[in-house]
Amino acid sequence: MGRVKIAKKSTFIDMTAMSDVTVLLLTFFMLTSTFLQKEPTTVLTPPSVSTEKVQETNFVQVLVSPEGKIWLTMNNDTSAVWSNENMRMAVLDKVAEIYNETHKNNPVSFTNEQKHTFAKLGAFGVPLNQMGEFLDLAYQPEGQTKMDKWLEGEDGDPKHITGIPIQWNTNADQPTEFQMWIKAMRQTENDNLAQAIKDGTGIAIKADQNTSFDIVHMVMDNLQSIKQNKFTFLTALKAGE
Amino acid sequence: MAEVQEKSGNDGKKGGQKKMHIRVDFTPMVDMNMLLITFFMLCTTMIKSQTLTIALPSNEKVENTENMSQASADDAVTIIVDAKRKPGTNLVDTVNGAVVNEVYYYFGKPGGDAGMFGAGGEIISANNNLQKSEFLSDEVNSVGDHSPRGIRQIIQERNKEVLAEIKKIKEQYANGGFGPLETKAEREAAQEKYDEAASAIRKNENLKKPVIILKSTPQATFGSLVELLDEMQINSISKYQIDNMTRVDSVMLLDYQSAHPGS
Repeated sequence: MGRVKIAKKSTFIDMTAMSDVTVLLLTFFMLTSTFLQKEPTTVLTPPSVSTEKVQETNFVQVLVSPEGKIWLTMNNDTSAVWSNENMRMAVLDKVAEIYNETHKNNPVSFTNEQKHTFAKLGAFGVPLNQMGEFLDLAYQPEGQTKMDKWLEGEDGDPKHITGIPIQWNTNADQPTEFQMWIKAMRQTENDNLAQAIKDGTGIAIKADQNTSFDIVHMVMDNLQSIKQNKFTFLTALKAGE
Repeated sequence: MAEVQEKSGNDGKKGGQKKMHIRVDFTPMVDMNMLLITFFMLCTTMIKSQTLTIALPSNEKVENTENMSQASADDAVTIIVDAKRKPGTNLVDTVNGAVVNEVYYYFGKPGGDAGMFGAGGEIISANNNLQKSEFLSDEVNSVGDHSPRGIRQIIQERNKEVLAEIKKIKEQYANGGFGPLETKAEREAAQEKYDEAASAIRKNENLKKPVIILKSTPQATFGSLVELLDEMQINSISKYQIDNMTRVDSVMLLDYQSAHPGS
């Protein structure tokens, strides 16, 4: 049988140039990236013509789910005096202090370990009387997953409540826990954050465009009742108008 | 490129060194980089959110009403957003699972000068001055001229004196009236002057301008409120506020809906 001889050719492809390109791309993405914060619920912010950019530091984000649950995220500028962790620990101390004024019968207090855990949280939002139990999860195996599940309301324990308690309230002497948190953030000695909140640029409500107005109104009303009359809504840029 | 050839001096003669080919295969390196790029691409946000600043009046009861500025009935426009209801009921109607927003407005006092209620507190439907409109974007004709429609047309009609002035300075800006527009720095400087002039016009007390009161029923969506706030910005409205629904507003809304079923 005659055989056609095929000349053997090297199949080696030089990947050096390809490697160069990918490294460049990688560098670009690494340098420009800001990581998506994990949030307990996904919301689609409403489109708006406003072109004001959101602040990166010194602001508190109020995440509102369509069901009316609320979580907070804090970003302060990491100046030498106030690191993000110090700030959060101070806020937790302050909020416990405010809470205990109105809940003298069952006050809350936090251990140092719990405070350190709180300092590393992203979005947070559980009732204060469960906060201790929530923070203790961090020392259990797979603690992070358990905490995330709790915040998403999917850990299967009906006693675990997610979201900061909020209701219609105009009584300044009996603030809701949401009002306590905002008050605590205004009262820390970090002037930059407190000032930003007072100016209104430091507090942003992030709600889904299909959330009913009733729920957003309740959040707005809670803020108004503690003389927080200025704030911002997070929106997405609307194309062409 | 990833090859290194070593040449020996004695051309492969007996006892000499063999030619060496050093080749580094970069394929795994590229694979790994691609994985990393994918990771960073999926985990990053490139677009920053925008914010919309709002200021609300204080919630406290005002004791001294003498110093309160009252909007005259001539200037006042009340805009109410509501969710579309199922015909004949008070239930929210949805299309493909999404709430449909409707927008209503009335000028001046609710029910006009006569008011919505009779002497005995009965509702006088004939006095209902509520009207229905829509959120619509501008209609653009073949020449590129914009003509407003829906609620925007109504707002612009009430605010035409301010808008005419704004249009004038817009043209002035385009013709270089606020300084040349050649370089980026020049454009920014001109823009700043333009913004100042525009803000002065919006606050000019001599121009007739409306005071708009924005209201929303609890069932309307947050998105529709933002849409209303947008209209304020688009139409250069300087005086507007978000207010709570009052009883008479609800009465008018229900009265309108029962008079126009299915609309």
